[in-house]
Amino acid sequence: MTGSGSKTLSPQRKRRRRSGWRGLVYIAPAMALVILFFVMPVIFTGWMSLHNWPLMGGTRWIGFKNYVRMFHDARFMSALQFTAYYTVIVTIAIFAVAFPLAIFVEKQRRFVSAYRTIIFLPVVVGLATASLLWVWLANVDSGFIGPALKALGWVDKSPNLLATFDSAFLTIIVMVVWKIAGFTMIILLTGLQAIPSELTEAARIDGAGRWQRFRHLTLPLMRKTIALALIISVTGSILAFDQFYIMTSGGPQNRMISVVYYIFNQSFVSFNLGYGAALSIALLAILVAISIVQLWLLRVGEERP
Amino acid sequence: MIKRLLAATSIATLCLVASASAAEKVEMWVRTGVGDAFKKAVESYNSSHENQVAMTEVPFSELVQKYATSIAGGQAPDALSMDLIYNPAFAAAGQLEDLTDWAKSLPYFNSLSPSHVKLGTYEDRIYGLPLSVETSVFAWNKDLYKKAGLDPEKAPTTWDEITANAEKIRALGDDTYGFYFSGGGCGGCMIFTFTPLVWGSGADILSADSKTATLDTPEMRKAVDIYRNMVKKDLVPAGAASDNGANFLSFTNGKIGQQSLGAFAIGSLVTEHPDINFGVTLIPGATGGTSSFAGGDNFVITKGTPKIAAVKEFLEYIYSEDGQKIMAKYGSLPTRGDIADKVLAGLDPRLQVGIQAISVAKTPYTLQFNDLINSANGPWASFTNAAIYGDDVDGAFSNAQTEMQSIIDSGQ
Repeated sequence: MTGSGSKTLSPQRKRRRRSGWRGLVYIAPAMALVILFFVMPVIFTGWMSLHNWPLMGGTRWIGFKNYVRMFHDARFMSALQFTAYYTVIVTIAIFAVAFPLAIFVEKQRRFVSAYRTIIFLPVVVGLATASLLWVWLANVDSGFIGPALKALGWVDKSPNLLATFDSAFLTIIVMVVWKIAGFTMIILLTGLQAIPSELTEAARIDGAGRWQRFRHLTLPLMRKTIALALIISVTGSILAFDQFYIMTSGGPQNRMISVVYYIFNQSFVSFNLGYGAALSIALLAILVAISIVQLWLLRVGEERP
Repeated sequence: MIKRLLAATSIATLCLVASASAAEKVEMWVRTGVGDAFKKAVESYNSSHENQVAMTEVPFSELVQKYATSIAGGQAPDALSMDLIYNPAFAAAGQLEDLTDWAKSLPYFNSLSPSHVKLGTYEDRIYGLPLSVETSVFAWNKDLYKKAGLDPEKAPTTWDEITANAEKIRALGDDTYGFYFSGGGCGGCMIFTFTPLVWGSGADILSADSKTATLDTPEMRKAVDIYRNMVKKDLVPAGAASDNGANFLSFTNGKIGQQSLGAFAIGSLVTEHPDINFGVTLIPGATGGTSSFAGGDNFVITKGTPKIAAVKEFLEYIYSEDGQKIMAKYGSLPTRGDIADKVLAGLDPRLQVGIQAISVAKTPYTLQFNDLINSANGPWASFTNAAIYGDDVDGAFSNAQTEMQSIIDSGQ
């Protein structure tokens, strides 16, 4: 019994093994792409990060010195700080706009598909294009916002929105919310629509008020959707680059250098590819950690009764 | 990875190039924003020679990165018109052809623009020769001077005078301003137009050996005060505070009374904006004297290019009287001092001021020019914005001084 069992496979196991192979074939194209365009570059970046790797000239093995340098690099620390600040503010702003919009366009009403389209339109504009558009809108002389404020008589003199940190930061936040909120809205909308109307009806019959239904029914049932929207928004914000590069070139007095911007500067302005690679690996680690924490906080994957 | 990918593509390009014909075709890159001078010189060379030059324009802010990556990938152009301030860094990296023997054999070698040759020299070998010369000068709009009741033919000689004139011009109306500069963190613009205030007064931002940052001097304080004062008095358009160089030539719109600009701009003002009636003079120092930034491009040859003979032939053409004349007509000052008068004969007399500026002009020699000065996020660029527009001038000085020194030290 024991001897024969180990030599010939049971039909069940054979089938499982065959379907295992078939599964591998199905995911092979995706795996190949991931390995070629993600895993290998990451490994190579890791390899570069252990070298002094200038853009021109020879490379030199320096072990973990790039990583040590990072902890004493005040400019990297302030880039991290700024990126964290930006991520928190912009994520809150996007959700504060996108959630009410999602609730607004979820109900069947006249012209609802027109509303959806209009709100979603900015999403299809590229971020670089949108940034350029807003550079013009915010231009002090030939733009729209400043001259419009002046024409309305709210200010005496057209303000240069991109000249001070606060107004430039506000302009960028408004631009990003305008650009991204539609996308978050669509994600949240799918979550809202997945909630069976019977549940809402039942809650209503039980005497739950509007806020109670939202707090105890809608929010818990949308946990996964919110997690998805949150991770997309946080990851996107941490990787922000275009808007700062194009709209403020790093902002008044370098106060808007995000982490990716700093990596770009180190790699292609100062030609320290090795250090840039080390910073990229650090950023990757930070992103993975943040995503794990978010998934854990929202307990995605753990089924509730 | 990048290097390998680039290498692969460059092999592919080499295979394509291999079938080219006998007359050599020289690949050459030039940065944008230097006017038409070089473009016209290439056109006239191509029409009169069997060898041809294929010129590619690369945005000035990306030229250094692109050249560096293309060298790394082995597909660099044969020659390059390189902003001369980058010459030391590329020579030090061992990427440029050593031109010492050939250069010294040129009969006019000693009359080539000295600051260009200095920047092209690294450890006593010559890796770059002057291609185009540009100096910074002070320009004023004669029509606006007249309207403001000033003498349009009298060049201002001190910053007090410039400020007073700016006030009178500003009084002309809503969108007429007395002065302009790109103050939104444009390191390149400000080193070009603003440091002459300090140099003219005898101070400098780097020590002579480029190993110490000497930013915080009474002369620099005075220069910053002059600009701050003009901003405070609303003599400068509000857009200047965030102009990263894109609107550097605002003078051409005819509503700016005075601005420091370059000799290339004289060329394009004369040829493209003939309606602007302007005068030029040397930039006064903050506390007296005059100075200028000697900029422009050096001609460098990528190490190991097989077409070196053709490249040299082209450069000799540029140095000929014909070549020099074409360059000068479009705003590049003559690089050969010995025939400068002949070349400039019959051209716009305002270019003569650009030539005078060469004798008082300076160029910083540092391997870290990009990091220190030109990078939009470098200490110099943010210093100019913080000191002129910020609330904390002392903080701006001490931050920039510390950061410049730390960049210099980390590069030793």
